[in-house]
Amino acid sequence: MIAFFKKDTFFRDACLALFSWISLVIIFFVIPDPGIHDIIQKVFILGLFALSLNILIGYLGLIAFGHAAFFAAGAYTLGLFLQSDFIKIYNFGAFSIPVAIILSICVSAILATFIGSICIRLKDIYFSFLTLAFQMVLYSIILALVDITGGDQGLMGGFSKPPFLGIDLSKPFDFYAFTIFISIFVILMLRQIIESPFGYGLRMIRDNAERPAALGFNNQNHKLIAFIIAGSIAGLAGSLQALLDVGAYPEWAFWAKSAEPLFMILLGGMNTFLGPLMGALIFEILNDFVTANTKYYGLVLGLVILSFVLGLKQGLLDWIVMKFKESKNNNAQN
Amino acid sequence: MLKINNLKKSFGGIIATDNVNLELEKQTINAIIGPNGAGKTTLFNLITGKLKTDSGSIFIENSEITNLDETETTHIGIARAFQITNIFPNLTVYESIKLALLSKINGLNNMWTRFKDHKVNSDADDIMKLAGLIKSKNSVSSELSHGDQKLLDIALALCLKPKLLLLDEPTAGMGPEERWKMIDRIKELWKKTKITILFIEHDMDIVFGIAQKIFVLQQGAILAEGNPQDIKKNQKVIKAYLGGGKK
Amino acid sequence: MEFAAFLECLTSASCIISQTAGGLKIGMLLFLVASGLTLVFGVLGVINFAHGALYMLGAYFSWQVMNVTGHFGLSVFLGALGVSIVGLLFERGLLNRVYNAELLIQILLCYSIVLILDDLVMIIWGDEFLSSIGVPEIFQVPPLFVLDAVIPPFHLAIIGISLLLALSLWLLMTKTRFGHLVRAAAVNPKMLEALGINTTVIRASVFVLGSFLAGLGGALASSIGSVVSGMGNSILVESFIVTVIGGMGSIGGAFLASIIIGMSRSFGAVAMPLFTDGIMFLIMVLVLILRPQGLMGDKK
Repeated sequence: MIAFFKKDTFFRDACLALFSWISLVIIFFVIPDPGIHDIIQKVFILGLFALSLNILIGYLGLIAFGHAAFFAAGAYTLGLFLQSDFIKIYNFGAFSIPVAIILSICVSAILATFIGSICIRLKDIYFSFLTLAFQMVLYSIILALVDITGGDQGLMGGFSKPPFLGIDLSKPFDFYAFTIFISIFVILMLRQIIESPFGYGLRMIRDNAERPAALGFNNQNHKLIAFIIAGSIAGLAGSLQALLDVGAYPEWAFWAKSAEPLFMILLGGMNTFLGPLMGALIFEILNDFVTANTKYYGLVLGLVILSFVLGLKQGLLDWIVMKFKESKNNNAQN
Repeated sequence: MLKINNLKKSFGGIIATDNVNLELEKQTINAIIGPNGAGKTTLFNLITGKLKTDSGSIFIENSEITNLDETETTHIGIARAFQITNIFPNLTVYESIKLALLSKINGLNNMWTRFKDHKVNSDADDIMKLAGLIKSKNSVSSELSHGDQKLLDIALALCLKPKLLLLDEPTAGMGPEERWKMIDRIKELWKKTKITILFIEHDMDIVFGIAQKIFVLQQGAILAEGNPQDIKKNQKVIKAYLGGGKK
Repeated sequence: MEFAAFLECLTSASCIISQTAGGLKIGMLLFLVASGLTLVFGVLGVINFAHGALYMLGAYFSWQVMNVTGHFGLSVFLGALGVSIVGLLFERGLLNRVYNAELLIQILLCYSIVLILDDLVMIIWGDEFLSSIGVPEIFQVPPLFVLDAVIPPFHLAIIGISLLLALSLWLLMTKTRFGHLVRAAAVNPKMLEALGINTTVIRASVFVLGSFLAGLGGALASSIGSVVSGMGNSILVESFIVTVIGGMGSIGGAFLASIIIGMSRSFGAVAMPLFTDGIMFLIMVLVLILRPQGLMGDKK
């Protein structure tokens, strides 16, 4: 049994995923506090966002400053679609929400293809700055197109969430179970991609950008595909956030939003697969706890980040895994 | 099997490659020697396509490869190991070799299987044995000794199953004993695979000990070429290079 | 798009003059701050994400001194000086620990300081906007009228001060021994070390200079605007834009880029009031795509 869990297969991961989802569903009933449910949902949505960024940062070594562009694109796409007349005209009715989510992913993917193909031609800090510049152009566009996007007020007027396939997203439990299910499913798919030959190709580029060419390998295509995947997942996260908040806000396209997943990656770790998810957990708990006790959230967050940067020098999950491996080595030597 | 005709390359006003003509026979071990700055690495870069030529042509087994880029030349059968070790620090030896092998057959677009399960095992083992790295199979590359890292660099090049192997100072940074070990390994590898090898080297004992043909490069041009005996006796070479003592 | 308004402005001498003056004021103030950023990058190889926070401190410090002394010149000078000291502490105490670390670590270190300082100033000075320290008495005169354009004389003073500083900076970098050492340290620090020159001192000095410039920018800003937590964030982003467009490490480039950005904001506010920032970022995108090393930067 232990051997089954140790062997790194898709089947094992899928079982773990299913088990996690069931456990979280049970938690919903065992701990009936809506505040806790809210945190758990947010952790998964932000976790998806951070995990998607880590494809670029942790596995490709590309530090993208402008990743929230895709988060915002997904959110606004979902919001605008669900508010639009399309729904009435084409009578999606029961399938509005699945269609909206898929549309959000597609729009984010297209945006990522456009932005990515231009950005990956640049290296290092220039890549980072260009992604940021594109994001801020998007931010400015959102603010400027007041009639469509609501400008600096955000998408107003809300939208309805028609039930589909027996799931009614206006009910807390349904929303909770649905969001976490989608998140865990995507995380499972992402795990497969990262552990596939494609994923190791990413690590190869990260470790040495020049060598792959001398091995007959084309970096650029690989980087672009990874960028598109990352952007699409961020878009999905954005659409879930929009569903949660029944709206979309320009702040989600502002550069500060791109800093959040960066913090989560630092806090949780960029070298373990679920590091960013743990980072999202730490981030959310910190957020909740601090804002309940003081308004000086920035001070606390800044101090926490500083202590991680200077003290632990790596994310929490990375540190835990490192300690675990060290103790294994010590035991082996004894 | 390698034929270079009238190759020229300048950078700004500086002539790096000065009308080089060079021919290698199949399945031979050849060496390029010359003082620092003679243009040896530049020549490698021109052959592999890392640099574009100004004029001249390069042929491999009669097909022209002048100005093909780095990726294309690997498909034609040229592989290269670098002067400064150029490996993947965070990946293990086995993972690196596997990646190189999969890269050759375009297997890195695959998202459906698990890398760890992927079947290239016997090929990987053969190459690791050839390079003498089988014991360090699961060591992380950054933790290998300098010599082993250079061997890994060569092993990665071998994954391309090349016809021509270019080695840029394979013994650089090594002590005398390690050097001979490396050269023995290269010789063994050559015997087993029968590929054509061209290596850049500064240690004259090594060059005279193993190379079948030697090319002497000075200021971008071929000063002399021939077998070790001829080169040892060549007045021009003695005056320009060997007279100064071994490096 | 307010094309009508824009065309109207282009055909009106007074509008052109006032917008140009405004653009130069914005640009020169921006240059003051951005030159510090690009200088630090050129010599230390670090992008100081806390640069905007130093600007903010410059504003708060000068406000505090004004509150106590009522003297404009002293406020501005001590404000900038205070920030230089903070900069020195930051560089010696924290930044030097991550010189050789990954970019991400450097960024997160700097950004954590921004978060801390943004809240710290609120704890010390309160959450509210602090009103501007006001313009020095000499300049409390009616505005100039140039061809019907209204130009506050103090704005001209700011442009003048910044130009003076730009000139001084240029002279410092090109004509003095310090400048030569700094530029040498930017290119080949190891060589300097081998020659027995203490590059640590050079690095620290450059950072102090950069901090001084940021602080001065903030102090001057406090005379024409209010002082509030987080005011450094927008100038930081604009400084990045200037640094990228001008060329990272190039002060001359920063000068040129600052003027471009200043003008684009000034005229952009007329032509596309809702998209003014967007124009800046579009310029940044274009420069990064067509000439990534910037207008006056070195090609890699």
